[in-house]
Amino acid sequence: MFKKFFHQFASPKTFYFVSQKIFPYLFWLSITSLIIGLIWGILYAPVDKVQGNSYRIIYMHVPASFAAQSLYMMIAVASFIFLIWKVKLAAYVVKSVSLIGASVTFLALISGSIWGIPTWGTWWQWDARITSTLILFIMYLGLISLHNSFNNLDKADKFISVLALVGFINIPIIKMSVNWWSTLHQPASITLSSKPSIDLAMLYPLMICIFSFLGLIIAIVLRAIQYEILLREKNKKWIQSI
Amino acid sequence: MKGLLHIELFKLFKKIRSWLGPVLIFTLIIIAYPLTVEYSTSELAKSFYSILWLGSLMTIMFSTEDIFLEDYLDGTMDQYIVNNISLPLIVFIKIFVYWLLIGVPIGILSFIFAIAFTSNFESSLLIGVISLVVNYIYFAVFSFGNSLSLNKGSLLSSLVCLPLVLPILITLGKFITALEYALNFYSYIILLLGVLSIIITIIPFLISFILKAHLD
Repeated sequence: MFKKFFHQFASPKTFYFVSQKIFPYLFWLSITSLIIGLIWGILYAPVDKVQGNSYRIIYMHVPASFAAQSLYMMIAVASFIFLIWKVKLAAYVVKSVSLIGASVTFLALISGSIWGIPTWGTWWQWDARITSTLILFIMYLGLISLHNSFNNLDKADKFISVLALVGFINIPIIKMSVNWWSTLHQPASITLSSKPSIDLAMLYPLMICIFSFLGLIIAIVLRAIQYEILLREKNKKWIQSI
Repeated sequence: MKGLLHIELFKLFKKIRSWLGPVLIFTLIIIAYPLTVEYSTSELAKSFYSILWLGSLMTIMFSTEDIFLEDYLDGTMDQYIVNNISLPLIVFIKIFVYWLLIGVPIGILSFIFAIAFTSNFESSLLIGVISLVVNYIYFAVFSFGNSLSLNKGSLLSSLVCLPLVLPILITLGKFITALEYALNFYSYIILLLGVLSIIITIIPFLISFILKAHLD
């Protein structure tokens, strides 16, 4: 049953109609909860003792950098599926997520740099986490430009997946080595293994922001994949009948 | 295998600009470096190593540009596949030959320049050996990039590959610091050798997968 579900869902046609149904619920739900989270965080969460009000950009910065890394993981899983089982839909996922991932990473970089002014007094520091995020951004751009430079889309899909997998193996290595090189950034405040080092009154809206931002990104990814399907399979009968 | 090695060596050796050019460019980069700073020996030695690593990185980036292109265009690659010659072996031999004709001279030159800039024989010898190891890694990684962007020019491949070699540069920086302060630097050499052993085995298979996709 599991296998049948996957085979069905992996066909672009079923995916198109299912995501068409899911999209409005996911989109509006996450938009409203993101707005609630932002209002809660910006207007009602307590003031930070050291950083004052400037810490409130956390409600944009943390979700964005969280999404930036998760999207690369999504690309890697999709390209693995594409290379092993030759599922066409996975290639569309890789293509469309790389664009969205680049923009989200850019958002994380910009918001971090704005946050840097009041806390560190500079726009840019050659610090471990910032540098590795910048490298991640360049890797996204590499994926996009590699895909754009081939007219033969089947070839382009194959190459972009190989590159994404190699990059995925390399990302932890880059992170570790850059960490090893220098660090100034505060370590992650929320980890799965230990108690959060952030006050609960600040944590709840942050959690809401992270999850609703992820939901929003997934909704956008769904739309992008639909667009990709329409573009690549425009000669199919079922598309012409829409 | 011996025959293949001989053929590839002969093919590269005949194209003088492909192997002598990069070595000369590397020399020119290192010669140009003292001209950009005001002359004083201590100033020169301070950032000599980073120029050395970046110079060899850039040179190898340019020199791998046409590593697979000619074979791809004139149909040699198709012949290899039709005749059932193992493609990973060919790729391995190609990278090895490039390393032999470009990487080894660059390693020797790094040794000579290190003596000239730092006047310390033992550490210069170490720099030469490390340069040999690192050059092989660069060759493998940039050939991977060039196989991806086979007939699209080397700009794309360098954009794709430079993020992948950054950990190597960081390790080299750590190694230099350890060398200068007389700390234990053997761990870095062993780390680089470990990376080399992984790269030697994996990269030929990856590249041959990509080349086959190009030929389909």
